[in-house]
Amino acid sequence: MSELLQLPPLTRIGHGTHGKRCLTGLPATQVDVDPSKLALVFYCLGTLDVLDQLDKTRIDEKERWREWIWDQQASGPYGTGFKPSSYMTPEKQSTDAEYSDDNTPAIIVTYTALLSLAILRDDFARLDRPGLLKFLRACQKDDGSFSSEPLGGDSDLRMVYCAFAISSMLDDWSGMDVDRALEFIASCRSYEGGYGQTPFGEAIGGTTYCALASIHLAGKGSSLSAAERQKTIRWLVQNQQEPSGGFRGRTSKDPDACYCFWCGASLSILGDGDLVNESALASFLGSCQFKFGGIAKAPGEHPDPYHTYLSLAALALHPPGEGTQGTSTSWKLHPLDPLLNAKRETANWARLYIPGHKS
Amino acid sequence: MAIEEEQSILFAERPEWADVTPLAQYENINPVAPIFYTNEYKDAADYFRGIVNAGEMSPRVLELTEKIIRMNPAHYSAWQYRYKTLMALKSPLDVELHLMDEIAVKYLKTYQVWHHRRLIVTQTRNPGPELAFIAKSLQADTKNYHTWSYRQWILAYFNDDELWDAELPFVEEMLENDLRNNSAWHHRFFVVFQAGVRKGDEDRDEVIRRELGFVKQSISVAPNNASAWNYLRGILDHNGTPYSDLQTFVNPYSVPHTLEETAEGVVDLENPLPSKESHLPAVAAIEFMADIYEKEGGDSLMKATELWKSLANEHDTIRKKYWEYRIREACQKVTT
Ligand SMILES: [Zn+2]
Repeated sequence: MSELLQLPPLTRIGHGTHGKRCLTGLPATQVDVDPSKLALVFYCLGTLDVLDQLDKTRIDEKERWREWIWDQQASGPYGTGFKPSSYMTPEKQSTDAEYSDDNTPAIIVTYTALLSLAILRDDFARLDRPGLLKFLRACQKDDGSFSSEPLGGDSDLRMVYCAFAISSMLDDWSGMDVDRALEFIASCRSYEGGYGQTPFGEAIGGTTYCALASIHLAGKGSSLSAAERQKTIRWLVQNQQEPSGGFRGRTSKDPDACYCFWCGASLSILGDGDLVNESALASFLGSCQFKFGGIAKAPGEHPDPYHTYLSLAALALHPPGEGTQGTSTSWKLHPLDPLLNAKRETANWARLYIPGHKS
Repeated sequence: MAIEEEQSILFAERPEWADVTPLAQYENINPVAPIFYTNEYKDAADYFRGIVNAGEMSPRVLELTEKIIRMNPAHYSAWQYRYKTLMALKSPLDVELHLMDEIAVKYLKTYQVWHHRRLIVTQTRNPGPELAFIAKSLQADTKNYHTWSYRQWILAYFNDDELWDAELPFVEEMLENDLRNNSAWHHRFFVVFQAGVRKGDEDRDEVIRRELGFVKQSISVAPNNASAWNYLRGILDHNGTPYSDLQTFVNPYSVPHTLEETAEGVVDLENPLPSKESHLPAVAAIEFMADIYEKEGGDSLMKATELWKSLANEHDTIRKKYWEYRIREACQKVTT
C-alpha cells in the first residue's frame, strides 16, 4: 500500500475569526502596523474572501470597512493615492483637505486599498483615476524603480510590482515608463535564477514573485529566455523542502508559510504551478495552523493576518489533490488570480470596475 | 536614575513642552483595526503631530522622534521628519550615526532603520566605518537581508578601491563560520563577478580557476550544500563554461561512496573527493550529471533520463513532478 499523507482539517472558521478579530482592534504591541495598516486590512479581508465568509458578514459592517478605506484616499501636489491609516492625520482636520508633505499616500497600500475595495464589491465611483496616474508618475525614479512614497522612502521590487498591478487594474499604463521599470526588474535578477529586492541583492521568494508578476502583467512574459525561465523554475522548486513540505524564501533557509505563496504563485505565473508538491505543501501549512485560529509562519509560532492570508492563497492555487487523505471539503477554496493575488472573482471585479468609463 | 525618570514623564506634563499644542489622531466614527495605544505612545504621537503641524525643526524634535522610534521603529513619518530636522539644524551626523549603531542592532528587521542610515551616509560620504559596523551587526543575525543589502549598497555606491580590498577575506570568514550561509555565497558572487574587475583580478581565467577551486573545496566538505552548488552553476553560467568541464569532479559525488576514494593514492588537488562522513549520493551532483548528459544529447539522453528517474523515485521524491517534467521536456526537444 502506498503511504497516503494524512491531513488535519483546515480550520476555516478559526482562520476567519482571526481576520475579523484583527479588524476589530489590535493590542498596543502591534503599534508597528500603523504605517502599513491598509496592507493588514487587505490580508484580513482577503482571508474572509478566500474562505467565502463575507456573505455571512453583516452588511453594515462591510459598509463601515469600505467607508474607512475611502477615507484614506487623499489628493495633493503629487497626485492621489491611499494613506496607510490616519496615524499622521490630526483630529478636526477635514479629510477633504490636501495632504501635506509629512502625510502623503503610499504606493503599497494604494494597491492593497484597490483590492480591498474590490473584495467588498465597491463600484469605484469615488476613485480619482487621473490623480492616481499622477501619483504613480511622482513615485517612479530615474532608474525605473518606484519609491514607497512620492517624497522618498525605500524603492525596490515590491513597489515596482504595486505600480504594475495598479496600472493593470486601471487598464492604463500612462502612469509609468514600463520599459525602464522592466530594465530595473532585469537588473535585480540573481545568478541563482530568482530576483533580489534591489540590484545585486540575493534571490528571495517575495521579490521573485514581484518581478515575475510584473513582467507578466505587462504582457512581457516572452522577454525571459528559455534558459532563464528554466533556471528560475529550478530555483523555485528547489525551495520546497523536505521533510516539512514548506517553501523557504532563500537557499539554505528554513521554510516559512508565506513563501508557499510567493514561490508557488511564481510557478503558477510561469505556467508550471503543477510542479508544486501540493500534498506536502498542504501538510506543512496544516501544521502551521494555530489552535485558536490563524496560520503562523512556521509550526509552533504565533499567527498573523499576513501569513494566514498567504497560506490560504497558496492553498487556493495548489489544492491538495488525490492521494491525500483527509481532503475533506474543508481544504477546497475558490481559484485565485496569481498575478493580482486575489480570488479570481475579486480580480475580475477589479478589472471590470477600476478602469471606469473611459471617454 | 534621573534621566530614566525624566523619560517616563509624559510630554504633556513637561513644562518645556507647554508651548506645543498636542494634536490627537483623527479617527472617523468607526475606525478599522484600531490600535489600543499605551498612554506613553499616544502622548508622544500627539506631540509629534503638533510639532509637524507647526513645522517646528529644533533640537527637541530629535528627542521626540527618538522617543517615538524606540517605541515604534516602523514609524515612517518620525524617521522622515527626523531626517528633515537633522538637515535643517545641520546637526553633527557622526553623533546621529553613533545613535543609529545602537538602534540598528536592536531593530535589524526594520526597513526604516537602514533607509535612514543610507540617507545619512550619503551626506557624510564616509563609508569606511560602515563595513566594520555591518560586520558587527551580521554577528547578531548572519543572514539578515537588510544588512547584506546595505553592505552591497555601500560597496557599489561609493565604489572605492579601499572598500573592496577586504571583501573576499570577509566573505571567507563568514563562510568559515557557516558553509550554508547563502547570503555570504551571494555576496561572493557579487564581489567577484558583478562589481567590475578589481586590482589583482585582471586575469579572468585565473579568477575563474580560483573560484572553482574554492567552491570545489567547499563541496568536498559538505556535498549536500545547495548554496555551494548554486554558486558553482553561477560561475559556469556567467562565464559560459560548459558543465562537462566539471565531470571529473562531480561524478564521485553522484554515486555512493567507493573504495577508490578511501584508498591512499595520488590526491588530485584539482578535484577533491567527498569527505568520508558525507551523505552520498548528493542530489545536486546527480542533477548536475544529468545536465551534462542532456547537453551531450544522443545516447547520453538515456543516461540523463535514468538519473532523473532515480531522483524522482528514490533520491528526491518531493520533487518527483519536477524530475518527470525534466524528462518530458528533454524528450520533447529531441522529437521537435
Ligand atoms: Zn513569512
